[in-house]
Amino acid sequence: MYRGKSITQLREELDSEKVTPEDLFSKANQLAHYFQDDYNSFVTIIDKCKYRKSDSKLNGIPYALKDNFSTTGILTTASSNILKDYVPVYDATVYKKLKDAGAILVGKTVLDELAMGGTGTTGHTGVVKNPWDKECMIGGSSAGSAASVALGIVPFSIGSDTGDSVRKPASHGGLVGFKPTYGRISRYGLFAFASSLDHVAMFARNVKDVAIVTDILKGKDPNDMVTLNDDDKCYADLLDKDIKGKKLFYIKEMCGKDAYKDIDDKDLSEVISTFHEMLDKLRKKGFIIEEVSVDKTLLEAIYPTYMVISCAEATSNNSNLTGIQFGPRGEGNSIEEIMFDARTKGFSELIKRRFILGSYILQKENQEKLFLNAGRIRHIIVDKMNELFKEYDGMIAPCSGGPAQKFESTSEKLSDRYLILENHLAIGNFGGFPSITVPYAMIDDMPVGLNITGRVREDDLVLNIAYKIEEETGLKDIYSKVGDIDV
Amino acid sequence: MIAKEKLKEYANKLMFDMNEEEYKTLQEEFEIILKHMDLIGNVPNISDVSPMTFPFSNEDVSLREDEVGDYLTVSEVLENTKHQLNDQVKVPKVVE
Repeated sequence: MYRGKSITQLREELDSEKVTPEDLFSKANQLAHYFQDDYNSFVTIIDKCKYRKSDSKLNGIPYALKDNFSTTGILTTASSNILKDYVPVYDATVYKKLKDAGAILVGKTVLDELAMGGTGTTGHTGVVKNPWDKECMIGGSSAGSAASVALGIVPFSIGSDTGDSVRKPASHGGLVGFKPTYGRISRYGLFAFASSLDHVAMFARNVKDVAIVTDILKGKDPNDMVTLNDDDKCYADLLDKDIKGKKLFYIKEMCGKDAYKDIDDKDLSEVISTFHEMLDKLRKKGFIIEEVSVDKTLLEAIYPTYMVISCAEATSNNSNLTGIQFGPRGEGNSIEEIMFDARTKGFSELIKRRFILGSYILQKENQEKLFLNAGRIRHIIVDKMNELFKEYDGMIAPCSGGPAQKFESTSEKLSDRYLILENHLAIGNFGGFPSITVPYAMIDDMPVGLNITGRVREDDLVLNIAYKIEEETGLKDIYSKVGDIDV
Repeated sequence: MIAKEKLKEYANKLMFDMNEEEYKTLQEEFEIILKHMDLIGNVPNISDVSPMTFPFSNEDVSLREDEVGDYLTVSEVLENTKHQLNDQVKVPKVVE
């Protein structure tokens, strides 16, 4: 049986020659096809097993890659019509490292168009469904990467995370989602969305597996000048669950016991109560966990700050999508008309709305009030976190105000739940902090995750804290056992 | 409410357009967006803070040596367009 096994389990089977890489690929490929119509994880399913033998821990392990990473000779669409036929001629560093490590690509996964969105509903090939309940979203933007791991098709997948695009769907999919420190992993060949916030991140079903993947991917890359020098640590080997004396904080206004006492929301109250039950368990295991207070106006400003910075950066990053050198050519009698037509036809309505917002923010009359003030608030939030990190080793919080939402549901976008609890993960992108989601409870048979965010460059500590927490949740290595297939 | 003409102007500056119905939907959505944006103004005493454009001070950043690395061939560059002439991307005449 292959389905649902972790990297560590598959490694043992490969090393003892119970299975071959070709067997694993064949099973992953069968599963990918079997679930495609119902869940739509993939833009492209690879049918030919291509792998380069190595002595790494990922040798022979199947994986999925978000369709905004450049892969030579393999269609790469960013789930947008404007790139629907684009076949890259160079490899993203992440893809190259995984190939060199002997990992086997099973497919390119669906995302919210151009990675701008959090629902998994806006890709040009259709909606991605949640493996735990088909009526629900898995969240996004790395929707297909999350679904492919939550279905047990692959033991790990790669995504990108600009606001919470891996850590939120990880929560909705019962997965571990890890975004290392900004610059820890090269973004060369990742289609840029908002460069000052973009991170490479990954999904797996346990903490050790994301550590193994990070060990392969991290390091300095001359093609991405913001990458960090390698810290020469092997994160997977450093996991020891020794957290004695480690101090965590949670923010009273975000997830205190009484933070939402006036709101009648069953999911929200269950999230808060299960979260505090988990904190009590963790205290018994040796963590010191304390409540801190942060100015609520600052927390409420996280979401608009994120929108302003990301939409503004996105407008310039996507200005290369013209239909001239690549992408469907527009019609017209001049270069301008051709570009105008290509962009009008190539972008969906939702993307256009975000671009118009970016354009509005960057108008001369709005720059000071919106763009520069958003940068100032980002600075204040990051300074506040760094001040707290002088005393504490990490922040702990629920990833959202409830399990995955139904497709037809609409959030009350100005509520405290929406503004604070649904959007706080962007703090990790503002400051480039390492940040990890771990499933911690089931609410009405749907998983919910908690998040640990720690000091920059201390990825090993964040992973170790999560490794200890995972032991207490009883939700390690879970996946949805939906479907009638036995491989 | 923000004028539809303004939204069209912002879209056109980024070289695309939407249809009337889409502008109408966006006009309504902008009401909520602007309320969100107002929350930025609620944070007190921010004028002396410098806007952050990068997550943290990164001493590891350095310019690489100016050495010839991997580069794409002309045929690779042209692989994703059908519109080619003399090893270049063909576009309508620019200079009359």
